Amino acid sequence: MQTVQMITHESFVLSPSFVSDLREQGIDLQITSTGDAGTLTASSILAAGAPTADLLFGVDNTLATRATSEGVFDPYTSPELANALPEFAQDTQGGYLTPIDFGDVCINSDDTWFKQNNVVIPTTLEQLPEIANLLVVEDPATSSPGLAFLLATVARFGEAWPAYWEELRDGGVAVAGSWTDAYYSQFTLSGGDRPLVVSYATSPAAEIVFAEDASITEPTTSVLVDSCYRQVEYAGVLAGSENPEGARIVIDALLSRKVQEDIPLNMFVYPVRADATLPEVFTAFTPIISTSVSLPPETVNEELASLLDTWGTVMNR
Amino acid sequence: MNNSTLHARDLVIGYKSALTPALSFSVGPGEILVVVGESGCGKSTLLSTLAGVIPPLSGEILLGKTNLGGVPIHKRSIGLVFQDPLLFPHLSLIDNIGYSLRASGASKKSARLRATELLEWVGLSEIAGQKTWQLSGGQAGRVALARAIAAKPAVLLLDEPYSALDSATRLRLLADVKSLVTREGIPTIHVTHDHSEADLLATRTLTW
Amino acid sequence: MFTFLIYPLTKLAVTAWSAETLSELTSSTLWQVTLRAGGQALLSVGLSLLIGIPIARVLFTYRFLGRGFILALVTVPFVLPTVVVALGFRALFGDAIPNGLILVVLAHAYINIAVVVRLVGAQWSTLDPRMEVTAATLGANPFRVFTSITLPALRNSIVLAACVVFIFSFSSLGIVVVLGDGSSTRTLEQVLLRSTSVLLDFPAALAAAILQLIVVSLVFFISARISRNEPRARVVLERERIGGRKTMFIVAVTCLVATVLVVSPIASILWSSVSSSGGVTLQWWSDLASTQNTRIGSPIAALSRSIGLALTTGVIAAILGGAIAIAVMSKKGFVVTLALIPLGVSAVTLGLGILLAFSRGSFDLRGTGTLIPITHALIAVPIVVAVATPSLRNVDPRRYFLALSLGAAPLRAWWTAFGTVFSGVMLAAGGLAAAVSLGEFGAATLLSRTDSPTVPVQIARLLSKPGESAFATAAVLSVILIIITMSLLLIVDRIESRKVIT
Repeated sequence: MQTVQMITHESFVLSPSFVSDLREQGIDLQITSTGDAGTLTASSILAAGAPTADLLFGVDNTLATRATSEGVFDPYTSPELANALPEFAQDTQGGYLTPIDFGDVCINSDDTWFKQNNVVIPTTLEQLPEIANLLVVEDPATSSPGLAFLLATVARFGEAWPAYWEELRDGGVAVAGSWTDAYYSQFTLSGGDRPLVVSYATSPAAEIVFAEDASITEPTTSVLVDSCYRQVEYAGVLAGSENPEGARIVIDALLSRKVQEDIPLNMFVYPVRADATLPEVFTAFTPIISTSVSLPPETVNEELASLLDTWGTVMNR
Repeated sequence: MNNSTLHARDLVIGYKSALTPALSFSVGPGEILVVVGESGCGKSTLLSTLAGVIPPLSGEILLGKTNLGGVPIHKRSIGLVFQDPLLFPHLSLIDNIGYSLRASGASKKSARLRATELLEWVGLSEIAGQKTWQLSGGQAGRVALARAIAAKPAVLLLDEPYSALDSATRLRLLADVKSLVTREGIPTIHVTHDHSEADLLATRTLTW
Repeated sequence: MFTFLIYPLTKLAVTAWSAETLSELTSSTLWQVTLRAGGQALLSVGLSLLIGIPIARVLFTYRFLGRGFILALVTVPFVLPTVVVALGFRALFGDAIPNGLILVVLAHAYINIAVVVRLVGAQWSTLDPRMEVTAATLGANPFRVFTSITLPALRNSIVLAACVVFIFSFSSLGIVVVLGDGSSTRTLEQVLLRSTSVLLDFPAALAAAILQLIVVSLVFFISARISRNEPRARVVLERERIGGRKTMFIVAVTCLVATVLVVSPIASILWSSVSSSGGVTLQWWSDLASTQNTRIGSPIAALSRSIGLALTTGVIAAILGGAIAIAVMSKKGFVVTLALIPLGVSAVTLGLGILLAFSRGSFDLRGTGTLIPITHALIAVPIVVAVATPSLRNVDPRRYFLALSLGAAPLRAWWTAFGTVFSGVMLAAGGLAAAVSLGEFGAATLLSRTDSPTVPVQIARLLSKPGESAFATAAVLSVILIIITMSLLLIVDRIESRKVIT
């Protein structure tokens, strides 16, 4: 039995069979979590070359370039990646990382509210400034979905993004410090006064899966497809690992069909594997969005600080 | 000093949920009523009641013709000295003695002037600069007395004062007290468990 | 202390250090944040004192039925995960008060009532009430008695409490993220988090951490200078029984106000634990044992883990804090405040440092499960020292010499003199440390094994997921956390009052 240590962020969840199946292959996998994806990446950079584990799961496309350029990872591309959806098969961030899952940050709407108030649900980003007083976003400096939405507007409007945010500001957009505050106290679904919230593409499905009443079969929220920003999560072998061989086996396991099919209902993101079957609640209510935008990791790495500064100036925060 | 007589009429006080019998007495100017009783019989409660710390269960307390029922402690003009001197540790000796003058609106300067006189009167002017906790028991006791007198109380209540001191010092201080209240004509009630103190001080004795 | 505090922090600093740190230290934004956070912290201190002092007065000078319960109740906000407090405040004031300074100050005061009540109360219970009576007979009205006699007598504990509340508010994170407005309420801790976790700008993060440590040390230094070095009262007085209608009224009103203050911000969350879109339900409670409803590990397992960690922390903190308290009890107040400085090191910084220092090679403590209790003990030890030292000082040292003169060996003589008080104080301090551990989030989120979160980590994870059952399960866990904390404090309080007041 060989020991493999994996560090990940606090949102990592898989069924217990993940660990027990590896045990059958002679691998004792120990999983530690270190804050959110940002803190996880930060701690791995601080420990670059002398890591606290053998592999890392959970660095995303916003921070990937920074981590790979700091020498955090040893090159490895899993042979299993051949089975991934075409857009991910080559997405290895320079050969260092293996994509495992992806998800979208999108605006969610409370359809019941829109129906009751006879307001038309917006379908494009351009419609938002007019009804910005119905929208709550998260502060990109403290919240990861908030940052993703900011990047979505940058990807969409290019140089003109600050002007778009000025319109949102003047229209009365609310800014929450965290996703928890936005979704659970400002979103109308939870008793707040904003029927539009920046959340995840899969939130409507999660509302059904986690409802009290099992007879609820249709979500009352939906996704504004035009607002989505793509986030990809990667795993990689940490440079200086004591057991790189074991780490590679775990990465391959993460791409196995069984684990990939286990991902959606645990972490509410989509598996990268092309032949993974999605659960019914996903296919019915949160199909994969094909129009999501994203910025190249290099661009994010270079411009993040100035983007946040400009956003702070525009929003007066 | 406008000296009036302190009257207690049918006073019933509660002590450890037991009631005392109704008490009636009067203490005139210059008189010292010594109440003698075992420790824990409610003597201190009597003084607390007279001072207004706790209300009586029934009966009334009069100073001259004024009924003190409902008058708060700080307006009763009743001086109270406990077993321990209880000097205020964060104040200088002078400011301890001048405390009542400041409370009644005197300027800092005039309060200090009067306090210095009183410190001299109790024979302690040479230790004026010391901290309260540097004093001997006898010295602290005298400062406490000077502090009570500075307020020009209409009535003086002594709750086994100086009982922590050796008997020679205690008796000397008590003699000072006696000459003071006789001279100033302040009605005084002194509670103690020691019969010899009663013999020394009392113009009247009440045995509990 | 060295191994688990100074070594990890130095290691972290060395790793993150670069020449840019120096230039970051002189950045005007950083100093602006420092000034504003200082102002915010001062306001928080003022409000905490204003609310805490009257409650301390009632709880520590009167004896009445339910006193222990109210004391435990006001401690609850201190151990609640900040995310729960923040959501509660949003629910209560969401419409009336916009995010910003006012809401942040209110929440900080809420969390810190317990600090003021316990520290100031402890000194109040040694205050001779006859001192106030004497001042009143000298003609001072109640207000004057309070300002000229009572407050000065409580000065040391008020300064200490103010100092602790200042540090907590100055380095606040969870509250300012949710209830702040992003500009006027920003703290160095928030800058630190943004630099570490969003921008990965380590020189800037280190600069913020250094500046924070400087401010904290400065505050402690000033407070040590303000504290008076005077002999302490050597008695712990028996609490007064309520007599008279007026005091009974005051006590009743204070207890009522305290209860409303503590409960109202979290009422909506308490309610969520028994309600759903379909009405009142006990389903969330009956589902607690199953892992399926939330898919992030069994809440029951998290509970037993948290309790285990809390007990371990309690023991470590009592031993470590006790040793420090003994070492400093005969020293001046200054040394005590030095022992408090770790309070100013953010849990996140400490967690990262410990992670880097003890997670590999010959120092790999991660697998042993001791990292969290050690970190929690480090966070709790300063509180233990603050609570324990005054009580130990209250013991007349002559007892020790008396025992020596009667022929006892030094160790035995020490135990005779201080043993009863010591064991009582250690129990109380251990209990408080355990409570701190129960509620601690920042370090736990960095150091827990993914499959074994603590309750606050579990609550935060649940609250970062959409879905009714996630929110409701978080609410149920919060209620359980409150119940456990209160039971723990009630037990400890009972033992303490038996042992200390002799």
